[in-house]
Amino acid sequence: MKHVPTVAWRELRSLFVSPVAYGVLSLFAVLAGLFFVLGVAAFNTYVMQLEQYQALDQLQKINLSDHLVGQFYDSMGVVLLFLVPGITMGLFAAEKTNGTQELLLTSPLTMWDVVLGKFAAGAGFIAILVAMVAAYPGLLFVYGDPEVGKTVSGLLGLLFLGWTYVAIGAFASSVTRSQVVSFLISFVLLLSLLLMPAFSELGVLGGASGIGGAFSWLSTGEHFQQLLKGLVDTRDLAYFAVVIGSFLLLTKASVESVRWR
Amino acid sequence: MIEATNLSKRYGDITAVDGVSFSVERGEVVGFLGPNGAGKTTTMRMLTGFLPPTDGSARICGHDIFTEPLEARRSIGYLPESPPLYPEMTVHSYVDYVARIKDVPRRERRAKVERALERCGLSDVSRRVIGTLSKGFRQRVGLAQAIVHEPPVLILDEPTIGLDPIQIGEIRSLIAGLAGGDGDARHTVILSTHILPEVEAICRRVVMINAGRKTVDAPLAELTSGGHRLEELFARVTALDAAETEGQP
Repeated sequence: MKHVPTVAWRELRSLFVSPVAYGVLSLFAVLAGLFFVLGVAAFNTYVMQLEQYQALDQLQKINLSDHLVGQFYDSMGVVLLFLVPGITMGLFAAEKTNGTQELLLTSPLTMWDVVLGKFAAGAGFIAILVAMVAAYPGLLFVYGDPEVGKTVSGLLGLLFLGWTYVAIGAFASSVTRSQVVSFLISFVLLLSLLLMPAFSELGVLGGASGIGGAFSWLSTGEHFQQLLKGLVDTRDLAYFAVVIGSFLLLTKASVESVRWR
Repeated sequence: MIEATNLSKRYGDITAVDGVSFSVERGEVVGFLGPNGAGKTTTMRMLTGFLPPTDGSARICGHDIFTEPLEARRSIGYLPESPPLYPEMTVHSYVDYVARIKDVPRRERRAKVERALERCGLSDVSRRVIGTLSKGFRQRVGLAQAIVHEPPVLILDEPTIGLDPIQIGEIRSLIAGLAGGDGDARHTVILSTHILPEVEAICRRVVMINAGRKTVDAPLAELTSGGHRLEELFARVTALDAAETEGQP
């Protein structure tokens, strides 16, 4: 496992010479700014309306953490859904088209060096994105007093959500040579994971019975919401760890399968 | 240094390589010959551990490629048919990366990377991005990644394909130089090709395979003694085998 940083570092460097990384970063920055400004404006309007109607008890309940920061994080979670496949699509697919897969598999690297190295590169990129998001609630601390706990746990949620998406994207990239196909596969996987609760609510899967519950447990959104509420529960953290772990195992199996075809 | 025992590879009903055995001693340069599609690349991929054999085994420097993969792979420098390059990296950072993943100790890395670049005539282009290089230079970068960790065993799959005559000459003398060192510095080289003059120029021994089976394994001098030409032998062996397979329904 000693080569994980080597593989990760090369991957990150290659990501940053391609236009994809900069495209994703700028798009993410623009969208983050937009959602934040819109969020602040909406929050402002809401407060003014409440004041006009003298709805004092509601004014007491309203706060920056739930009505601004949480919603902002939520939107950024959706943005990640679209952008992460763009970052991960090349992780393994590009190795196949370059022919460098043959170099990796004949070097004294273990399969985990390769898989974890790639994942670490994607995870590092997500950390950059989350740091960009963090700047905005950071501003709020200058002008207001959002709750520190909720602000941080929400960021943590965003980080785990992004890492889960990276693990799924890495798997999608390992099953194909084409980056476009890889993008589509990961997008479909991520979307279905997000839409799990909708399936169960529609009753397609047997309504609120056991299966329905299982499907909503599988949904990334459910667990992300808990963190947005400021609930750092080991059950939710375990969920992210399990999904990341399973997809990395699948990725490893899929990369290795080249040898057994 | 290289020991292949009864190597076979089957894909469903198709047998790509059928029971190939040979061994190569330290400092030998062996030409691995055969027509296109004979199973040269498959055999080399099995030797490097990229593909597992359906049957048989391979040992590199005494390490079995599948039971002790890391030790065996550390001793191999491998240039696949198309050089495994990252087009967006510079020549230097690429060769340095390969040195890292091949377990070159940190202290020696800088010197070994410089040496590999120099030996392959890449010092002047070391800051260039690989994607902008000509085919000849890319092939040299591929060779540089194969030799950067100074492995005892070099496995080169058609190292001179697509190069112009001058570049071919350069690569050939480089390979000859690698095998000609002293003691431990001598590389054992196995190179596949279907260019016969190449074999005559650098190899001392020839292993010929056709339709997945080994047909010839002899020193070059023996094969060309009495004025025989390698072309004739090659043509005869291929034709013989073709006739044999045609005879079978």
